[in-house]
Amino acid sequence: MSSVSTASCAPPASGAQVLATLVPARALARRAFRDARVRTVSFAYLFGLYSYIQPVGYRHAYPTVADRAGFSRSFSDNKAIRLFYGLPHDLLTVSGYAAWRVGGTLAIVAAVFGLLAAVRALRTEEDTGRMELVLAGDVGRRTAYLAAMGAIAAGIAILWLAELAGFVAGGLPVGGSAYLALATVSVVPVCVGVGAVASQLAPTRRIALELGGAVVGLMFLLRVIADTVSGVGWLRWATPLGWAEELRPFSDPRPLVLALPIGVSALLLALAARIAATRDVGTGVVPARDTAAPNPRLLSSPTAQALRGERATLIVWLLSIGSFAFILGMISTSISSAGISKSVQEEIAKLGAGSILTPSGYLAFVFVFFILAVSLFVCAQIAGARREEAEERLETLLAQPLSRGGWLAGRLLLAASAAAAISLVAGLLTWAGAATQGLDLSLPRMLEAGANCLPVALLFLGIAALAYALVPRASSGLAYGLVTVAFLWQLVGSLLGVPKWLVELTPFEHVGLVPAEAFKAPAAAVMVGIGLLAALLALGAFRQRDLIGR
Amino acid sequence: MSDHAARPPQAPLEPGADAALAAIRTEGLSKRYGDTVALDSLDLTVRRGEVYGYLGPNGAGKTTTIRLLLGLHRPSAGRGELFGVDSWRDPVAAHRRVAYVPGEPFLWPALTSAETFEFLAHLRAPTLGADGRELPGTDVAYRDTLVERFQLDTRKKIRALSKGNRQKVQLIAALATRAELLLLDEPTAGLDPLMEMAFRDCMQEAKDRGQAVFLSSHILSEVEALCDRVGILKQGRLVDQGTLQELRHLGAQTVEVTFTGATPQLPPLPGVRVESAGPRALRFEVTEGIGQLVDALAEAGGSSIKTLTSREPSLEEIFLHHYDGFDGRVER
Repeated sequence: MSSVSTASCAPPASGAQVLATLVPARALARRAFRDARVRTVSFAYLFGLYSYIQPVGYRHAYPTVADRAGFSRSFSDNKAIRLFYGLPHDLLTVSGYAAWRVGGTLAIVAAVFGLLAAVRALRTEEDTGRMELVLAGDVGRRTAYLAAMGAIAAGIAILWLAELAGFVAGGLPVGGSAYLALATVSVVPVCVGVGAVASQLAPTRRIALELGGAVVGLMFLLRVIADTVSGVGWLRWATPLGWAEELRPFSDPRPLVLALPIGVSALLLALAARIAATRDVGTGVVPARDTAAPNPRLLSSPTAQALRGERATLIVWLLSIGSFAFILGMISTSISSAGISKSVQEEIAKLGAGSILTPSGYLAFVFVFFILAVSLFVCAQIAGARREEAEERLETLLAQPLSRGGWLAGRLLLAASAAAAISLVAGLLTWAGAATQGLDLSLPRMLEAGANCLPVALLFLGIAALAYALVPRASSGLAYGLVTVAFLWQLVGSLLGVPKWLVELTPFEHVGLVPAEAFKAPAAAVMVGIGLLAALLALGAFRQRDLIGR
Repeated sequence: MSDHAARPPQAPLEPGADAALAAIRTEGLSKRYGDTVALDSLDLTVRRGEVYGYLGPNGAGKTTTIRLLLGLHRPSAGRGELFGVDSWRDPVAAHRRVAYVPGEPFLWPALTSAETFEFLAHLRAPTLGADGRELPGTDVAYRDTLVERFQLDTRKKIRALSKGNRQKVQLIAALATRAELLLLDEPTAGLDPLMEMAFRDCMQEAKDRGQAVFLSSHILSEVEALCDRVGILKQGRLVDQGTLQELRHLGAQTVEVTFTGATPQLPPLPGVRVESAGPRALRFEVTEGIGQLVDALAEAGGSSIKTLTSREPSLEEIFLHHYDGFDGRVER
């Protein structure tokens, strides 16, 4: 799309000139693609596996037409479920189910992919000064920009193929699967556009991610409101995640809707290209504040200083988890099991969603996602510690009379405390959200639900720390990967009918679904114990290795 | 932090016993990264109050040596001590009397220089000096002087500073500790000539104050001007070390002689190379026995000598000597 607009405004080029731009552009695009390969491959695995498992699981769990009819009746109107998976159009067929269950979830993942890809390819390259090096050569800004976008386009194609392959392997028809996968990845270019514009506005990578993250969060929020609050279904047209739904794969395909993501992403990408062509390289449109009066707070120790560095991130987490919890609390009041038969309720339980037919059952289901979020947060904290080492600041710190163990223990303590704060805020605001609707949940019980996020998070914190101590370069990927796999396994393991002990390998399976169920103290104690043990081993191992840069 | 309470027994408080300890001592210190030998059995002693120049081209193992000395990397063999404390076994105690300037100025981008100073100062508890008196972790008054001298705007955030300015931040923070040993890894990389002069002044002050300095560098003039002793590193091995005076013995001394008349014929002399330096001038590269050259010149017609100049080899010549076709240890 951008290539069209550039071609029209550029003077007619000779063959040699075209070649002169094409050769470096290809080299740059290849480089960018290589840089992103780990992320692309991880997301592709996720897309492929998830879209394979869902149709297979559905067939396994609801083999007969009667099963499916019951399931459809109970779920079509369940607002809670719509929140995560979007609006179902047809739950009587395998493909309709897959479209709903996979499309809704993967569209969110796709949005995150687009944002990360764009910020990495544009803002990070400038932050590190590499863009300057590239532009100093025989490469124009437009070429560099197009090369980056070309690499991301290749990544999108891979995601599309992975999802398609998953569906086809799961027994869905090829044509419909291709369309469904297209609906999912249609979100990506729009979010790439968002990330590209954010990369022009923000002066640093972190601010660009936070800016883009806010927009993606808003997209999700709009879809949630459109799908759950009656009378505002039109809001679906205001968010790319809604467009993916309105494409209605399998049930009632409306390919014309594709014009929306195509048009909007073209607009955003062209806007970003325009800004990129006019501003100074290495800066953002929003200027960075480069001087400041000294602020002596949080400088007294490495841990205090780490908190100072992570402060902004922590606030973003608290705000987003908090507002999400508040909305979920509000919505929870509309959940009821009226009109759903006992047998169907049992079927629903097979989804791994527990009893989501009462407010507390629903909240218990929702809190599994908070456990996931807090676990990902601790992974991000370990990634932050690793960045400190990779960028060699740790060398400056540890050349002081400071012990390595003390430094790492401080970081772990910080991560654990921040995770606790996020968990409790989730519990508190869920309670507050429900309270605004007149639903009187018990506050201590909801705080308990929040605290219930911690055992799993601490387990993963310990394991991530151990990975950091033993294999520093691979540690972030390992930690994030482990959490994701453990979560998905809990989600789909029971659906697939694999042996119980295999399903129980994931810690998520051992969580008491507070507030619907009781807190499972023994399991929590075991998880915290393993986490602590892993953390202690990490402290020992970290003491024994070289500090390793990039 | 309870640094004082944790002071280990191997750093004794009596000045007498303490003074005997070298600032740096390594025994067979070695490091392999995979198949690469980065440092091969280094034996090195830097006395207290001594300024030691550590020379070598990029990749010779200078930074590796410093990382091992600080216990940031684990020795594959051998050991390194700072003031008698094994720096791998007990890095916290080893670092107490040491300040370090890394080769790359990576600092916290969101902090200003002033905040960086504040933060780094918090990390150093007061220490006991050689005379048993308590020294502050950071000399704030001296730091302010240094900020003046290096013309640093401390309100600027690190991310807005150029490489040279970030280098200044590291240098000032390290110098302001007044630590008994300064480990400097190519500290003047990125500094402009004026700032380099300021740096030399600071080094002179450190020397006068009795601080030891381990100066890793490949800027020969800097080392020649500042250092008491010099070590030359080549591919992870210390190929030569000594005072400049000692090192000069192995480099060729240059003697130039001009004559009033025609240049005389001299017999071939071992260790002396002759070349013409003009119609009435000869240049001799003398590696050994300057006496025999003087005798030979006198015999061949000492009265016709108009001028005679002799020049010692520069550090650059010594350095190039080690890197020009020689492989391994040089004969003395």
